[in-house]
Amino acid sequence: MSKPLQCSVCDAVATVHLTQITQGKVHKMHYCEACANKGGAGDAAVFQLADVVTAATTVAPAIVCPTCQFSDVDFRRSGRLGCPDCWPVFLEALDGLLAKVQHQVQHIGRAPNGTLALGQIRHRLQVAQGAIAKAIADEDYEAAARLRDEIAQLSAQLPTE
Amino acid sequence: MSVQDILAAENELTHMLGAQQAVVLSTRVRLARNLSGFPFPGWAKPAQRKEIANRCIDAFTKLPRFKKAHVFKMGDLPDMERAVLVERHLVSKELAAGKSGAAVISRDQTCSVMINEEDHIRLQVVKAGWHLRGTWNIAEQLDEALGASLGLAFSDRLGFLTACPTNVGTGLRASAMVHLPGLCLAGHIEKVSRALNQDGLAVRGWLGEGTEAAGNIFQISNQQTLGLSEDAIMKHLGTWIKSLVEQEWNARRKLAAEEGPRFVDRIARSLGVLRSAYLLSSAESMNMLSHLRMACDMGCLPEANRHVIDRLMIEGQPAHVQSRRGEELDSDGRDMRRAASIREALSAFPEVGSPTA
Repeated sequence: MSKPLQCSVCDAVATVHLTQITQGKVHKMHYCEACANKGGAGDAAVFQLADVVTAATTVAPAIVCPTCQFSDVDFRRSGRLGCPDCWPVFLEALDGLLAKVQHQVQHIGRAPNGTLALGQIRHRLQVAQGAIAKAIADEDYEAAARLRDEIAQLSAQLPTE
Repeated sequence: MSVQDILAAENELTHMLGAQQAVVLSTRVRLARNLSGFPFPGWAKPAQRKEIANRCIDAFTKLPRFKKAHVFKMGDLPDMERAVLVERHLVSKELAAGKSGAAVISRDQTCSVMINEEDHIRLQVVKAGWHLRGTWNIAEQLDEALGASLGLAFSDRLGFLTACPTNVGTGLRASAMVHLPGLCLAGHIEKVSRALNQDGLAVRGWLGEGTEAAGNIFQISNQQTLGLSEDAIMKHLGTWIKSLVEQEWNARRKLAAEEGPRFVDRIARSLGVLRSAYLLSSAESMNMLSHLRMACDMGCLPEANRHVIDRLMIEGQPAHVQSRRGEELDSDGRDMRRAASIREALSAFPEVGSPTA
């Protein structure tokens, strides 16, 4: 049997192996369980995330959540937020890395109780508006009428601003 | 109520009570949810975690799907029993490692909830074979009921709020456990894995812990959770799984055609070793069982025997072997018990024939 891989931090036997692909380049990292837990290696994206945050917060002033007193220093250590209220507090600081790990920053999925989230309504509205323009151009008036009703129904669900 | 009940009960994954498929072992949907007004588990005080656990256990055990559910508090369970739950994928290693976590597991083991892991609630629904819609429908129902009984942390822009930015939005991780011996034997797995990665899907080993995918089994899941609808996430995974199943079959057929008798010989040797070995390590048995599973898919062995192999893969894991024996065993002891169970289970298997599929 071949020699087990060593942890790149502490030389113990590595049991957590990460492969990260950035711009076509493959990076392999090996950690023992203890070091992996410290670094949040359970998720490759978290690793990338922690790097970005470390870089971003070394110059930024401390941010503290007024609800739970969780700070950017805590985030740098754990890669996790303190409470749901931390999200608006840290959102601006997290925006760049959110865009990096998630690619999109507007939720368009479900909301509690199975209702549609506003983001999803807006998204559907946008799709329908694009489709109606095309339907009219194609002189497909049956589809245009159906889309017009859909747009009216979706618009009614949006709060008046 | 104990973990022994979990071991003794027949369920879809170990006893083929549900539909089975050749390449996809199981489909899984996981939702991350948090209660509003409480810190996330990693930042909460012990009293708050206790309060969260009580509220969640109370809410879940009232749901029809969790009627007479198993409720386990990690702090009350011996190490071995926690390890069994981890090996069954019913709880994560992280939950098992802490004292304040709890798990609620439905009688049929299809639905399970981890409480106070990284998020307050990690709801999981698993079905044998490829059933993403069916799995999602159950998760959605449970999520709706949950939203009605517990105040969930949600924002219009960011969706369901989670402790880690990698789960925010839908909180949905949809995954399939796939058996890919053909692609592994043909040496294509690295290439396939890279393509999946580049298209936003994560590829992990059987237990997600990177130890070279035991038994040629991989877990494929979405990475992005925000800015995509649940439907889009599942469609994306579904398209890839369908293509993966096709590629796997192509690789197997090509291998069988090119190798001829050597293809059957590999399977027959695995059956021979598994039927007579006195010591079998977890890794060795997993890889040989993988050959037999492929043989069942391809008609070299009766398809009806496939569920026996699936059960042996699950029950051959270290904590399972020891729990069945009712005592802690050293490595040789475990390898001996594992070999004995496998010998017994495979004794009635017929001889290996040529592939028909």
